[in-house]
Amino acid sequence: MRHVLEARGLAKTYDTGGAKVFALRGVDLSIGPGEFVAITGPSGCGKSTLLNLLAGLDRPTSGQVWLDGERIDELSETELARLRRRKVGFVFQFFNLLPTLSAAENVELPLLLVGRGRKEARRSASALMGDLGIGDKQDTAPTQLSGGEQQRVALARALANSPDIVMGDEPTGNLDSAAAREVLALLRAARDRGQTLLLVTHDARVAAAADRVINLRDGLVTDETELQAARPVALPFEHDEFG
Amino acid sequence: MTATLLKLAFAGIRSRLLASVLTVLLSSAAAATIVLALEVGATARDPWQRTFTAANGAHALANVSTEADAQAIAALPGVAEDGEPIPLANVGLDGETDRLQIAGLRSPARVNAPVRIEGAQPPANGIVLEQSFARALGLQVGEALRLATARGPIELTVTGTAVIPSQPRYPRRNPGLAWTTRSTLERVEPDPGRWRWTQAVRLADPSAAPAFADRVASSMPPDSAAVETWQDQRAAALGDAAPTRIILTTYTIVLLVVVFAVVAILVGARASAQYREIGLLKAVGLTPRQVTAVFALEAAGLGVIAVVIGFTLGAWLAPRLAAASADTMLGSPTMAVSPWHLLAASCPVLLVLVSSARSATRRSTRFSVLQAIQSGTPMPAPRSRLAHVLARTSLPVPLTLGINDLLARRHRASRLGGAIAVTAAAVVFALCMQASLDARPAGEASDVPDELPLLVYTLDAVLLLIAATTIVAVALLAVRERVRDYAVLKTIGLTPGQIASSLLGAHAAMALIAAILSVPLGIGLYVAVYGIAGGSSEDRVIAPWWWLALVPLGAVILVTLATSLPARLATRIPTADALRYQ
Repeated sequence: MRHVLEARGLAKTYDTGGAKVFALRGVDLSIGPGEFVAITGPSGCGKSTLLNLLAGLDRPTSGQVWLDGERIDELSETELARLRRRKVGFVFQFFNLLPTLSAAENVELPLLLVGRGRKEARRSASALMGDLGIGDKQDTAPTQLSGGEQQRVALARALANSPDIVMGDEPTGNLDSAAAREVLALLRAARDRGQTLLLVTHDARVAAAADRVINLRDGLVTDETELQAARPVALPFEHDEFG
Repeated sequence: MTATLLKLAFAGIRSRLLASVLTVLLSSAAAATIVLALEVGATARDPWQRTFTAANGAHALANVSTEADAQAIAALPGVAEDGEPIPLANVGLDGETDRLQIAGLRSPARVNAPVRIEGAQPPANGIVLEQSFARALGLQVGEALRLATARGPIELTVTGTAVIPSQPRYPRRNPGLAWTTRSTLERVEPDPGRWRWTQAVRLADPSAAPAFADRVASSMPPDSAAVETWQDQRAAALGDAAPTRIILTTYTIVLLVVVFAVVAILVGARASAQYREIGLLKAVGLTPRQVTAVFALEAAGLGVIAVVIGFTLGAWLAPRLAAASADTMLGSPTMAVSPWHLLAASCPVLLVLVSSARSATRRSTRFSVLQAIQSGTPMPAPRSRLAHVLARTSLPVPLTLGINDLLARRHRASRLGGAIAVTAAAVVFALCMQASLDARPAGEASDVPDELPLLVYTLDAVLLLIAATTIVAVALLAVRERVRDYAVLKTIGLTPGQIASSLLGAHAAMALIAAILSVPLGIGLYVAVYGIAGGSSEDRVIAPWWWLALVPLGAVILVTLATSLPARLATRIPTADALRYQ
């Protein structure tokens, strides 16, 4: 089977003033195209560390990470940035919208980075924000948006370049129930369009919506649960199988 | 409780080390600039007076035909102190058109004594030259001066240089002046009938000097005596020093403008750095008054360190500048840095730091503890129209982002831009002055002292150093405030090179605009100063355009160099760690 994302023997150790903290102790996982995977576990079990390593935001102490057939743990920062802008969308718990840009400009940014013209980027961002129900918030500053609206903008930014995989670190963790439900629905819609979803969550409802749940404890995968059969999806890309 | 507050203040300094270092850096720059401005300003105030005091200057200086006339003047009522009559002889220089008046001293002069700049008192066959004359001839101590006398050329060794309050700068006062021994004078001009005599006297009532001069003139045969009062000497010296004084005063103002910009940036930076800290301190139960106390103690601690560094720097640099400027105005070089200036430098800096702590606490009542802790930094100001316009242009994405960031702290950006513009205007001023000097016909004597261009360039270098330090500090501050934003940008796909270019590009663009504006500003300043100094508009020359074009180019290069280290730091921010920080 082809994998969009694969990790082998992934370990991460932090040196905190002489004392070593083993955040990950050798994680193996594979995620197929169009899959919706939730990573759960108690606080401090290494969920966010795993996500950061899989997105190329941090470097593992040992092990390998493959994204869409390309080994990324050996890439330079520049190569990683270029890879992320094309293939990875990222959603954060605290939204992390750039406060000096308007909502629409936040969404346009990934499009501009891949070389789209400003007008074209604005059109695409506008359409995407309309789809996500925030079409009337384009010129609004992020600080003037509600939590749910900010997360929709963040989601629009993550989806702007139709990345192969969308990753989220507690994307509903800072939202009320209604907003969390809406954001989850939007994420599922993205998955239904064929994008792979990998979310770190504490939220049982988010985990319940996933195809597969990976449980972490003390830096190790303790169990994996298939919740439902992966649905057939129209893939936006063709990958060679690797591994 | 005081011990706890002190402990918290010290912990605050350590935990926000970069902010603390920046505070010390900017405060030191401000303190040093204040010291420099005060010292340079003090030099310009009344340079002649210092020389007059050092020389035990004459309230009346008579030039008469005979020694007896000189002695008669010394015996007049009202004279409190007199020097011995000194003979003067006029000689030419061998092979030169310059002329020289040589004073033959029998013993060191008691009144109107030459103030030694370098070298020693004249021994036999030696000569001490008035400083501006020596410089005009390019003569150094130890070199030989060939005099053209009736008996043929005589060679004397230059043993020193000196200034005297009664002698304006050569060639404004021509012939020049020199001192030698009486026996050497007799060798140079053996005929005493060709000598003139000077008599320097100090009066019991210095304000009565004009009346004393009138009395001397009326007691001598017509045209046989010329008397110069200390008021005449002072007016001539001040007239001579006018261009330098005006330029130094201008530079004092420029330095103070830059100080204002630096201090204003500092206040904003402190407030920004304290935002989250205030939330945390309130969360653990400190009252607003106690929060104020913690920040005031922290600010005072940093302020004292900064004032010591700034004063040391300023005190080291100021006498060097003051000595150079004193030279150009016949001032005595023996200037001591005033201890009052330490007070003047410390008060504003400490006041600004402590009051910024107070205002930060006052602001803290406007937001909740949670808002402060979660946000980390205060919300940026509403977007400016310029930022909206830029967002629609086809500038490269990193540059747009960088400018956007810069404009989000528009007060800071405008103050930094202002400091760059004023500094660059000072450079334009110097270039125009140089162009005017270069345009003089070869060999023509100038009213501008030779040392003045060097002094102006030194002051420009000081301004550039302060501007560069401020740029580095502001860029570091920008990086520190945007750690999380840079991490988000890297997550979205900005490469390290694009992150660096956003910071470099934005600052360089600001510097370019500021430097372009500085060209008309600097020319305007030059024209105004030239006019005030009484320069003729026909002789005024503006620097050629290719010189002026170097100013924006130089500003961009300087800013790029100054921002390169902070930009490098921005690229090295560990993304995952920065994102974890909320």
